[in-house]
Amino acid sequence: MKEVMLYTLSTCPFCKMAKEYFENHHIPYRFVDVDLLEPEEREKTVAKVQEISGRRAFPVIVIGNQVIVGYDEVGIGEALQE
Amino acid sequence: MNQVEKIFCPVCQVSFVVGEEKEAGKRIICPVCGAVLVLEKDNTAWIAKRPMDLTPEEEIRMRIENFARLRGYRFNELKEPLVQGLLKKYERYGDFYCPCKIDNIPENVCPCLETRQGSVERNGRCHCGLFWK
Ligand code: SF4
Ligand SMILES: [Zn+2]
Repeated sequence: MKEVMLYTLSTCPFCKMAKEYFENHHIPYRFVDVDLLEPEEREKTVAKVQEISGRRAFPVIVIGNQVIVGYDEVGIGEALQE
Repeated sequence: MNQVEKIFCPVCQVSFVVGEEKEAGKRIICPVCGAVLVLEKDNTAWIAKRPMDLTPEEEIRMRIENFARLRGYRFNELKEPLVQGLLKKYERYGDFYCPCKIDNIPENVCPCLETRQGSVERNGRCHCGLFWK
């Protein structure tokens, strides 16, 4: 099983939908609500998100070594298949 | 001439021309971002301020309705969760910053700069999914 990591914000509906996708498909995943982190940890995490996605917008979904920027069900499905 | 004097929008930070008759206390709509503003006379110049008599929820709802109407965009079921996200941002950070972006800066005030610059035309929706083509 590929590792799934979600970078999310607590205020963002597509972020919630991304979590629900993995819940509903019974796929284990980790996530971090970046806006709720302490300042230092938040800055580090945002820098990482920017490095892998090129943006400071959410959600960013990492499946194995694939990065999906935004909530894209087709992209998620394909990344899980590969 | 008085008629072509431009007014600065404190929400999207763009200046626009007010075609209609100017009157102190009159509500106008920013044609760029849809913000509801109130005209005031500051010495000789007209200025526009955000209305003090609206609740935050009324203000952001009117703004996004106006923006959607101005651009011909529509909403879907993401609208309510996004209004809640915008209100949470307002509560926590003092303005209606984009619920899906980490930086609480003027260019991310909803409708954010990328949306005002046409991201809905390019992608069919804004980043958060509030406005749809
Ligand atoms: S992406 Fe959409 S919801 Fe987010 S600030 Fe921009 S216009 Fe508003
Ligand atoms: Zn404006």
